[in-house]
Amino acid sequence: MKKALNAIGNYFKNIGIAFVKGDVWVKLSAVLMGAGYMARKQVINGIIMFLVEALFVVLCVGYAAPNLAKFGTLGTVQFEQVFDPLTMTSTVNDYDNSFLILLNSIIALFLIVVFILFWIANMKAVYRLQIRKENGEHINTFKEDVQSLFNEKFHITLLTLPAIGIILMNILPILVLVAVAFTNYDQQHMPPNSLFTWVGWSNFKNLFTDSVTVTFGYSFRKVLTWTLEWAVLATFTTYIGGILLAKFINNKKTKLPKMWRTLFIIAIAVPQFVTLLLVRNFFADSGIVNTFCTNIGLTDFLRNVGLVPSNLSYIPFLTNPGWAKVMIVIINIWVGIPYQMLIATGVLMNIPEDQIESARIDGANPFQIFVKITMPYMLFVTGPSLITDFVKNINNFNVIYLLTQDVYVTSDQLLANSNAKEIDLLVTWLFRLTNEYYNYKMASVIGIIVFIICAAFTLVTFTRTIKGDKEEEFQ
Amino acid sequence: MKKKVLATLLATAMTVGCLTGCGGGAAESPAAEAPAAEAPAAEEPAAEAPAADEAPEVEAPATAEEGTDPVANLIAATTGTVTLKVWASEEDQDLTNKLLDDFKAAYPDVTFDITLGAESESTAKDTVLTDVEAVADVYAFADDQINDLVNAGALQEVVANYTFDVVNENATGAVEAAAVDGKVYAYPMTADNGYFMFYDSSVFSESDVQSLEKMIEVADAAGKKIAMDISNGWYIYSFFQGAGLELKLNDDGLTNTCTWNGPGGTDVAQAILDLTASGVLVDMSDEDMATQIAEGNVVACVNGTWRAETAAEAWGDNYAATKLPTFKAGGKDCQMSSYSGYKLVGVNPHSANVGWAMLLAEFLTNEAAQTARFEARGLGPSNLAAASSDAVQANPAIAALAEQAAYATPQRVGGNFWSPAETLGQILASGNPDGTDLQELLDTTVEGITAPVE
Repeated sequence: MKKALNAIGNYFKNIGIAFVKGDVWVKLSAVLMGAGYMARKQVINGIIMFLVEALFVVLCVGYAAPNLAKFGTLGTVQFEQVFDPLTMTSTVNDYDNSFLILLNSIIALFLIVVFILFWIANMKAVYRLQIRKENGEHINTFKEDVQSLFNEKFHITLLTLPAIGIILMNILPILVLVAVAFTNYDQQHMPPNSLFTWVGWSNFKNLFTDSVTVTFGYSFRKVLTWTLEWAVLATFTTYIGGILLAKFINNKKTKLPKMWRTLFIIAIAVPQFVTLLLVRNFFADSGIVNTFCTNIGLTDFLRNVGLVPSNLSYIPFLTNPGWAKVMIVIINIWVGIPYQMLIATGVLMNIPEDQIESARIDGANPFQIFVKITMPYMLFVTGPSLITDFVKNINNFNVIYLLTQDVYVTSDQLLANSNAKEIDLLVTWLFRLTNEYYNYKMASVIGIIVFIICAAFTLVTFTRTIKGDKEEEFQ
Repeated sequence: MKKKVLATLLATAMTVGCLTGCGGGAAESPAAEAPAAEAPAAEEPAAEAPAADEAPEVEAPATAEEGTDPVANLIAATTGTVTLKVWASEEDQDLTNKLLDDFKAAYPDVTFDITLGAESESTAKDTVLTDVEAVADVYAFADDQINDLVNAGALQEVVANYTFDVVNENATGAVEAAAVDGKVYAYPMTADNGYFMFYDSSVFSESDVQSLEKMIEVADAAGKKIAMDISNGWYIYSFFQGAGLELKLNDDGLTNTCTWNGPGGTDVAQAILDLTASGVLVDMSDEDMATQIAEGNVVACVNGTWRAETAAEAWGDNYAATKLPTFKAGGKDCQMSSYSGYKLVGVNPHSANVGWAMLLAEFLTNEAAQTARFEARGLGPSNLAAASSDAVQANPAIAALAEQAAYATPQRVGGNFWSPAETLGQILASGNPDGTDLQELLDTTVEGITAPVE
């Protein structure tokens, strides 16, 4: 923390020094970028700098300014269209598109920040040149600068493309989506025909409110609870199951281990959504499993026991909240175990044989060996991936959505009033809100919350599991 | 230097990024690009008037002023290729392709580039609302979506007709379904999207199917089931509306008025509980019905024309259809109501070729097209002339719809209706497992249905 603060302090101190100690050319660079380079005979560098500055000014005037001017209101001119029946053409007024204004403004703000950083870097570089000149050191020609990009500065050349990709594909869209959480962008306010505008924190308030008509607070608590329950269950069942399966297959008494392993890997090779949709049909209210259960009398038995409501002639595998939750976890075990088995097989092969050998000589039984040696070793090696799995399961859209979409109807009226279901994860709820109800503002708020939960969880657990001293602890 | 180069590259990248952004923005104004935008072609209509021989039923509606023919204007003003994108349902592709060819042949002087995409009428709204500007120029949709589509500005108002009189040549119900606030926004294509009762006439007699209680009795004796998708707002509406309770869209076009929790409401809820408690009337999704009918477990179901084929195949000569039966609520017989349903064709106002899109929409819904659609796929025409043909009259499903029409209402309801109604159906169909007081149950449902929309 202190280090970071120091670094920031130094960063700004250096500009100050450049301003105070720089000569005329360095000072001129503050206004006319490139001047400093020109003065040190780096003409091409100077021209490039100047062009960049000119481009930035053009962009500010032609692009950033008109958008940022409307950023405060996100547009005021409503879309209007007039159709002329005689010429059969329409005329459209010069309307504001709130979403484009929001998007362009964020890009513009981002550009401005990048430019400021660029300007600071320029000031420092120019001052460094001045010092080199004063000390009589060598000043690179343009050719040498370019060459350095392929030699000692090759990492910059390599990282440029990925960095740009991350900014365009991740950072900017995320910024836009975060901004949407503070607007009233929903079905009633959809560009281009309607405008939307800033509403401050009111969407966040809604998510934590219970009232007669706004049940988002209630739904959020329910959905969050199930999300966490699900993530824990799904992660640990597949994890333990995968290890056990790998142990069984690796056991010397198992015949044809390779065949078994291949069979389970085939399960991975079939795309998950195909498997899940098929399984959904198997377990449908009038699906093949239900027909089978009725024929062998299991349905009647369960009804007598009270596990199946008495007015149903089938087992509500995916249509009753309790049944559906259990089924989802079980089906997930089936779909998820082969992956964990693969990982576990690799790790198990690396357990030092001498440890197990000595344990056996000391008289430990297989169960003790498993609990005292195999599991700690597994947990140590696969700890990080376990955390990743947990976070992945929080966002495990496929299993829940594909198994229950169009099949499951909630019987909780309060959940229904905010379009949630008992078996919804935060992420499937979010998907339904955007995709079926166009409630972008609430979806965005939920997205932010999911991010905070995942980020907090990852940070805490990662710092606890991969701290440097843990390795010795294990040994 | 290191930082500088990185920064330069970043800045360049951003510049490129935002230039494309600008480009996107500039292309926004669709009107400027419409080929016919400012062509002063009004003087040359006499040169060619293929529109006249193309559409025999041109009756010169109100728009043909002083001999000026807008279609001829449009043809004269069109210079480049007219690009149009059309969406029709998966099942309608072959027929639509044929109609598109006919359309091109009707205007030989114009070069068309028409692409046909597949988009189900029932889900058109979902795709359209995602990006109103990117959707097809002409698309088919079910009439329940019209309110949302009009609110989102995704439908061009039908201010004028060019080849036939849309309002007067279609059934009144269809035109009402295509209108919002008295303005017509779409072209009726079919009049068969409502629901009614299918039954196996070897099990039920014609008098049996008059009352749901009687039907249950008969089916129970035969050891068979009657299916209805009760956990679905669209179907459960038939009970409450049938008992005289009200559900309607408010004038704001967003929120609902609902009196399901008013006097008599609990009687209806109790009736549904009693009906399903028999275990004969079962809550079943459309997909399940298809398999259960084929397997012979279901001998009657509430469904629409899209299941006619399944039922006809399974029951053969015993396949029959009629209006919905009555049910007993609070001691008196109530005729089940229903939503009438229509499939419509709409024009996207953001289309670069609105004029051509409107002409194409008319072409896809005129009498000839509707007759062809009935012949190819058995879909009931909304066009009065097409519907009056003997072949259409003899179709049992369409006849049943016509019978039900007296008790059907067009579907006008705000988005907050669906989830709460679906859950109400689910709770009632599963026998109210928590034993919630029925009045309380209905109160919560109505709160959800009538919730304000921000």
